[in-house]
Amino acid sequence: MKYPRRDFLRSLSTLAAASGMFTWRERLAVAAAGNRERRACILLWMAGGPSPYETFSPLEGHKNGGETKAISTSVPGIRIAEHFPHMAAQMHEVALIRSLTSKEGNHNRASFLLHTGYLPTPTVKYPALGAVVAAQRPQAKAALPNFVRIGSGGRLSVGGGLLGSEFDPFVHRNPENPPNNTQPSTGQVRYQRRLELLKELQEDQEIANDTKQIHQTVYGQASRMILSPEMKAFDLAEEKEPVRNAYGDSDFASGCLLARRLIEAGVTFVEVNCRGWDTHQDNFSKTRELAGEVDRPTAALIEDLKQRGLLDSTLVVWMGEFGRTPKINARGGRDHYPKVFTAALAGGGIRGGQTVGRMSQDGTAVAERPVTVPDLFQTYCHSLRLDAESESMSSLGRPIKVVEEGSVVEELF
Amino acid sequence: MVTQRSLFNLLPEQSLHNRSLPAESNARSRQSARWGLTVSMILLALFAVDAAAERQAPDPYRVAQQIDGHGSKDSKEKTTGGSAADAAFLNRVWLDLVGSRPRETEVEAFCRNRAADKRQRVVDRLLDDERFGLHWGGYWRDVILARRADERALRLVADGLVDAFASRLNRGDGWDEVARSFITASGDVREHGETGLFLAQKGEPENITAEISRIFLGMKIQCAQCHDHPTDEWKREQFHQLAAFFPRINVRPVRNVKPRSFEVVSRNKTGRGKKGKNRKRIEHYMPDLANPESPGQITKPVFFLTGHSLELGTKDQTRRQALAGWLTDAEENPWFATAYVNRIWTELTGEGFYDSVDDIGPGRDCRDPELLALLADHFVDSGYDTKWLLRTIMATAAYRSSDSTADAAVLSRPLRGDVVFDNLLQLFDVDKNNKRLEKQKRGARQRFQQTFFYDPSLPRDEVNPTIPQALLMMNGPQIHQLLRGDRRGTMLARLLDEESDDDTIIESLYLRSLGRVPTDTERATCRSYITKQNNRVAAYEDILWALINTAEFRHRY
Repeated sequence: MKYPRRDFLRSLSTLAAASGMFTWRERLAVAAAGNRERRACILLWMAGGPSPYETFSPLEGHKNGGETKAISTSVPGIRIAEHFPHMAAQMHEVALIRSLTSKEGNHNRASFLLHTGYLPTPTVKYPALGAVVAAQRPQAKAALPNFVRIGSGGRLSVGGGLLGSEFDPFVHRNPENPPNNTQPSTGQVRYQRRLELLKELQEDQEIANDTKQIHQTVYGQASRMILSPEMKAFDLAEEKEPVRNAYGDSDFASGCLLARRLIEAGVTFVEVNCRGWDTHQDNFSKTRELAGEVDRPTAALIEDLKQRGLLDSTLVVWMGEFGRTPKINARGGRDHYPKVFTAALAGGGIRGGQTVGRMSQDGTAVAERPVTVPDLFQTYCHSLRLDAESESMSSLGRPIKVVEEGSVVEELF
Repeated sequence: MVTQRSLFNLLPEQSLHNRSLPAESNARSRQSARWGLTVSMILLALFAVDAAAERQAPDPYRVAQQIDGHGSKDSKEKTTGGSAADAAFLNRVWLDLVGSRPRETEVEAFCRNRAADKRQRVVDRLLDDERFGLHWGGYWRDVILARRADERALRLVADGLVDAFASRLNRGDGWDEVARSFITASGDVREHGETGLFLAQKGEPENITAEISRIFLGMKIQCAQCHDHPTDEWKREQFHQLAAFFPRINVRPVRNVKPRSFEVVSRNKTGRGKKGKNRKRIEHYMPDLANPESPGQITKPVFFLTGHSLELGTKDQTRRQALAGWLTDAEENPWFATAYVNRIWTELTGEGFYDSVDDIGPGRDCRDPELLALLADHFVDSGYDTKWLLRTIMATAAYRSSDSTADAAVLSRPLRGDVVFDNLLQLFDVDKNNKRLEKQKRGARQRFQQTFFYDPSLPRDEVNPTIPQALLMMNGPQIHQLLRGDRRGTMLARLLDEESDDDTIIESLYLRSLGRVPTDTERATCRSYITKQNNRVAAYEDILWALINTAEFRHRY
């Protein structure tokens, strides 16, 4: 299925011409109503690799499940770990993929894979999904950056890649407060004058054009953002008490609430990070604690988006870079295990209240319908109305598709 | 035998004519061995002679000439293509050696100086400056902390790491000694900065292994942690054998001290903890992937590059001392010197011999193995002398040329947060020794370090400017106050007080912020800006604001 995108092709070709960094293959544009509709994505990133067995795929009746119990949900037949009562109540909006599988068990490489759909290579700088969304579905008047990453993503630095640094995420570490230094240092008129002078003086500098251009782009984004009224989206103090309470009180909760505000303000891709899922030891107490931080805001986010009529156009994805060993190790922990893991999806046209795929009783393997990382990315593209086939040029002159291989997990829609 | 004897006889005289010849052949011979080619008898003879002779630091300027003369046509073109303009060169060496731009008077004196060796002399002078060690200490602090697994390391050892490197580099310790001090470090992390690497990795053997290999060997052996990689030379077993040097490192809180601290100690006896998960191990076990609940396979320490090994039961310090010795032994392990030379060359010229400073090794493509070996071998002969290496690279055409924009594209490197901060202090005449400002400045410095932080081991094209950086420079409240020309005591207010000539003021602002005089076009742009504004003081504030927000201010090129 192909979605025409006349607008984005136009804006991209201007961009391509301006930067000279990539070219887009001209494709047949068939007019369709669907392409003007807004699409956005919120990625709830569980850094470290969350255990499927303590989250959305508990192992009932097998010793590999350990002490974790399962509870029933709003959908008969779907049971999840006891630590997620709020998500259990939202299960009719959520689809679980219980048969994700990959081969990569190293944090950095796997995080890269689950952010880009590709394994890292030294030669091709693959862009993050957030950058692809920002490039293919830009806001009409982009005042805020199209791609925002909330919280610290650890060492993960994947961003615009070959699409260019203008598609790098705006990293906002502490969602509790608006970003620093956003109060213009002078009045607007003088500020604009200063920016003009800066541009003019910089043009004459000996420094390489690439460096100047990237610098100029970032200054453009930064000043456009702070001079816009949309800046107030960063101010959580504007939210009413009951809303804040619904999300709960944690950094991740603030991140989720901010994500919703940013999506409302026109941002197309928001990533909210939650660290600490690398539970090599004391897996059970740690996952209980983390689930306690994540469950309520995730459920609240889905509900909130729904009430505001944004859920249909906003894909919410909950996942990490891999799963964890079904067998419990000597330190009461679980180690890296990419062979089978789970992602939770909601909104963006996804039909909630279902599971896709199944893992074996002992949790060691996919028992039914394996879903690969490329399959997952094809699914994102389908939901977000991205052109998975569109190519951008790598620095080596090799055209790179948004996703290579894989196919849409059709039953999700 | 005859051949060998005559070579022995020939050598001293030959060295007089061309000191570099034996070393160069030696470099080639090791290179050939490295790439698996046959080594001829004659080269072997030369190798033996050279090794027997007293190691002597080679003359950096001669080696630089060798490098310039080596290799492809286009590097020769570069040599004849002229050197960087004086001011550009001066800024580069200042930023590379001591992490600040030259002051106004420095630039003027250097440009006036007609001495043929003025470039060497400024390099020599800055290498003796104590800020040299501090600057590179900051570089290594970032190299280590960029990959931290424990956030507390940032607070506890950031300064200690700088000091640990600074004192050694300023004293002229060899890079082998630096490596040794880090590999064998122990004690309170607040007092012994070299322990910072262990704290940053929480004392976990696997993490330490990955970092030691990356930092001191330039090799990404950690990919072999979980499984043998089809594209990698190293096997899973070799990774765990290296990890087996570190199972007895124990990072624990120091009791009853305020502020709280940690210490690195040896744990040579099994802990008393409950059997099972709390029991600390004193040997390394390679996990059994099929059977994660089993303890895994006990593994003895083997250094993967030389094959040297130790028995199980060996004490912690003995393990680490042994590893430090084998790792830094140039005769058996050329990669220690190679990794360092490649890293420093990459940092200074912008383009390394490999795609990544952290991913070199026998299975990786090297752009010019011969040249790298030449430099690495001389570096070994210098006694792993960092100052020698910097002196040498800074005398090469590759370092000095910067005329074409294509080169500059490769060369430009964003400045570290503390360098940006120091440049601002210097430019605004903020007294570094003002005690009252000390505390306030510490907070501000940390904000800069955090906002401008990047991992120095990443390739240049992966380090891009960010929106928070732009916001800090454009709107930071402290910068805003310092910029003001209508406030008594600021740099700009004084300058406007003392000078009335626009050209002089503009020139001074350029020298202070960018370490060079403005071009005619830049002068004209500034003058016309001033003419258009009815408020002269405000116009100068705007110019200064614009200058510190340009790409040039933020980059070394």
